[in-house]
Amino acid sequence: MATIDLGQIKRTYGAGRETSYARPKPSFGDRIQSWMPQIVMTPSILAAMFFTYGFVLWTLYVSFTNSQMMPSYEFAGLISYQKLWANTRWQIAYTNFFLFGSFYVVITTIIGLALAIFMDQRIRAEAFFRSILLYPMAISFVVTGLVWRWLLNPDTGVEKMVQDLGWLGFQFDWIVDRDMAIYTVVFAGVWQASGFVMVLFLAGIRSVDSNLVKAAQIDGAPMWMIYWRIIIPAIQPILIAVLIILVQNALKTFELVQALTSGGPGIATTVPAIFVFDVMYARGQFGQGAAGAIMMLVMLLVFLIPYLVYLRMRRRREAE
Amino acid sequence: MSDAGFDHTKLGTLQQRIFSRTVVYTVLIGFTILYVLPLIVVTLTSFRSLEDIYTGSLIAFPRSFDFSAWGKVWSTGCVGGNCQGISPYFINSVELVVPATLISTAIGAINGYALTKWRFKGSEFVFAFILFGVFIPGQLMLLPWAWVLGKIGLSNSTWGLVMVHVIGGLGFVTLFCRNYYMSIPDELIKAARIDGAGFWTIFRRIVLPLSPPILVVVVIWQFTHIWNEFLFATTFTSGYNKPITAALIAMTAPQTDIREYNVESAAVIIAALPTLLIYFFAGRYFMRGLTAGSVKG
Amino acid sequence: MTMKSLLKGTAVIAVAGALLSGGVARAEPEVELMHMWTTGSGAEALAKVADKFREQGGTWTDNAIAGHTASQYAALRARVMAGDAPTAVQLKGPNIHEWAEAVGLADLSRIAEPGNWSEVMAPALVDIMSYDGHFVAVPVNIHRVNWMYTSRKALDAIGETEAPENWDQFNAMAEKMEAAGIIPVAHGGQDWQDITIFEAVVMGMGLDFYKKAFIDLDDETLRGLEMVATFDQLRKMVDWMDEGMPGRAWSEAAVLVMKGEAGFQFQGDWYVGDMSRLGYEPDTDYLCTTQPTADGSFGYTLNSDSFAFFEQDSEDRQEGQALFAELAMSPEVQVFFNQAKGSIPARMDIDLSDFNSCQQLSAEHLNQAIETGGLVPSLAHSMAQPQRIRSSVMEIVSNFMNTDMSSEDAANQIADAVQANI
Repeated sequence: MATIDLGQIKRTYGAGRETSYARPKPSFGDRIQSWMPQIVMTPSILAAMFFTYGFVLWTLYVSFTNSQMMPSYEFAGLISYQKLWANTRWQIAYTNFFLFGSFYVVITTIIGLALAIFMDQRIRAEAFFRSILLYPMAISFVVTGLVWRWLLNPDTGVEKMVQDLGWLGFQFDWIVDRDMAIYTVVFAGVWQASGFVMVLFLAGIRSVDSNLVKAAQIDGAPMWMIYWRIIIPAIQPILIAVLIILVQNALKTFELVQALTSGGPGIATTVPAIFVFDVMYARGQFGQGAAGAIMMLVMLLVFLIPYLVYLRMRRRREAE
Repeated sequence: MSDAGFDHTKLGTLQQRIFSRTVVYTVLIGFTILYVLPLIVVTLTSFRSLEDIYTGSLIAFPRSFDFSAWGKVWSTGCVGGNCQGISPYFINSVELVVPATLISTAIGAINGYALTKWRFKGSEFVFAFILFGVFIPGQLMLLPWAWVLGKIGLSNSTWGLVMVHVIGGLGFVTLFCRNYYMSIPDELIKAARIDGAGFWTIFRRIVLPLSPPILVVVVIWQFTHIWNEFLFATTFTSGYNKPITAALIAMTAPQTDIREYNVESAAVIIAALPTLLIYFFAGRYFMRGLTAGSVKG
Repeated sequence: MTMKSLLKGTAVIAVAGALLSGGVARAEPEVELMHMWTTGSGAEALAKVADKFREQGGTWTDNAIAGHTASQYAALRARVMAGDAPTAVQLKGPNIHEWAEAVGLADLSRIAEPGNWSEVMAPALVDIMSYDGHFVAVPVNIHRVNWMYTSRKALDAIGETEAPENWDQFNAMAEKMEAAGIIPVAHGGQDWQDITIFEAVVMGMGLDFYKKAFIDLDDETLRGLEMVATFDQLRKMVDWMDEGMPGRAWSEAAVLVMKGEAGFQFQGDWYVGDMSRLGYEPDTDYLCTTQPTADGSFGYTLNSDSFAFFEQDSEDRQEGQALFAELAMSPEVQVFFNQAKGSIPARMDIDLSDFNSCQQLSAEHLNQAIETGGLVPSLAHSMAQPQRIRSSVMEIVSNFMNTDMSSEDAANQIADAVQANI
């Protein structure tokens, strides 16, 4: 099992539980031993409790105050949320999140999978291709954004180069077009992550039981059918890990946009993380920023709920 | 890497095979060119003089190779009022990334081991509980972290930042290691237990020797993320303590000057070099780690 | 405490000298300056101040925060939250009062009184720099924002010699430039540049209008016909900008003006400092004039960079604050700082004969504006209103410039946003 399968939580729970401790009169050392897994997990559990859930709860509380320069703790009801939803820029930001998030997650997954399938065709120089496709992941979003900003800008980049070569009518100005700029963010994001996704899928494909594939081929199934019916279903756990990585990337997208478009032209490519950061810190409207941060977590649920529903359905099917 | 004994690419007629080979290579080469383009542009730009850039086009081959941008970035460029180049910050990043990555990796390995080989009541819940942390946006964590670091006296220090990254990375390191260790057969562990080996003995004698592939994955993941992180890096450090990403942004901020594209390029490459090297040299282990982890899938 | 009372009323430089010669219990001045000047003339000028600070025996930590404005404020808030506020921070305008109110700023009286700050400082700055009757911040310069820079080469190309004085002239020249293949208005599409040009046009509609709109935040004015006319004029100017504008730095746009590829640019006078560094000179390469006006009224939109001081317990840091404040306000620093930055000193008692013609004109206009009541704080550069108001106006202006929003909508949106944030 290469990767997370939350679906297994219930199924495997209990199965791996050890029963070998039922010895009479365990000594003190034995008792420590038997609790060792819980003991070693305790620091992580406490850290998560405090530094994840504690911080989220703190933010949730602050979102119900009218905090300005610094967080204050005077309860003020929903005022921050009202201000938030009245804000045009927030409306643009959350629309962009869904737009960017869906395109980014779907396209990266498809390209990553397609590249993995191509790489699986016993090609020459696989390591070379893999390194090139993977390197964007090694580079920070800041750099990714900066470089693509030059390349995509009509003044400095591809458009000018092609025009200089003589094709004067050539136009590629999405980055300065308010309706299209968000797609350049999608593009840069996909460029950065798809190689990594490819590697994850490739590892999964390589681990599929070759007997299954062989059997299908002997039955005369065409290759595309084998990928569709056997290999892709078999790497589903990897798909879920990929989705977790991509969704959290999409939600947290900040530096990429900052470096690529600075949220512009105008405010056209503002994303929630930029809005929250700006409102919380530059403007000193901390409560409203906290409300935005909480809404980001709510938006995450929009992506997580279909998955949880799917899990439930699968579990029910298995129970039958 | 894969030792599936059956080669499906050998199927079909010769024409079909030639056609599919052509498609495969065309697509891969096409993507490779698209992917490598920015790296090439940046590398070329870093060797051009400003004059060359401003009188010509930004994307072009250098008229003559000029190394001044590299020198400026490394040793004379200004980050705010400090004009000693980016080199002091490079070392800061190393001092931050190495301990943070090592600690994270150790925690990941132990967590993954405990959660898969010693499942206890609620262990899957514990896993999901820890994993949720990967979704929390950094902007939200900034002030609470500042408060915590202030309370424990680590404000404005590298160790404070190490702590932030170790805890922030918990979700992913646990995820990676847990998934990998699930592929180690439980029988191995059971046999050892019958022989009387305890938690740590089994970890040291059986699990750790099987772990290098996944440890490489975790090291690469954490190293890349911590090295490239900007928000916490710039907020929780000051002066010469800043990590390289913060210095990079500071040096290349086009605030009041003519943009020095060549300097920006050299800075970008220098800042990305360690992660690039890690990817190129450890890349095959990375692949192996994930593959090995999938064997049982 | 005896140390403190001993120091009170004494010029710190003298004391620092005394300390170096030994005898008294040593306080070693240290300062950590958090600022946004990561590159360019601001950074270089600060590096010189740092050298002076070190010469006096101090320890200087330069904390330049890169990135967005938000990055600096995030870092500042994080430090305050951690109970470890930096000794000195680049803050400006009403923000100084906001911080003084929220967490408290250090009282600089022991430096300001002997230094006679309230006399020598430009009068418009005194209120901004003080809180509760004492100085809490030190200004290093006076920038004027409402400048229009005109390309000499572009003027030559259309057979003109003088920069336009009113909008009709401006529009006519812009059309000629467009016909001659010159980009009439050079601009970088970043939000702060957007609001800078917008503010210049507002001032160009009239001083009273500017005051009512941006100082009084008068709702009727913000929604009124004059605001609509402002946006109409801005729309024309947006149509005269080139395609490559989004995300461009102002300095890249400025080079277009210098080369004669573009005609006009609206920017503050940091322009002058950086163009000099690049070897372009006023009069020969470009003209600096007040933006065109519709009614002949005269205004001076003020921007000033300043450093505020957070309260500190450590004596070393208190000494550091005192030494830095003293240095920053000293005539010597004010001169080299402003020669580099293109601005003019925040002190009124400095001889400007070594400054260039644009800077001398700025000083002349400043005096004129003080006499005629035309000196107003800049909205665009966070001098007139708190960040939340400035930013929400900026957002709408940016959106206007990048969409086909109507002038009426823009005016109403601004009025609504101001109402929501007052």
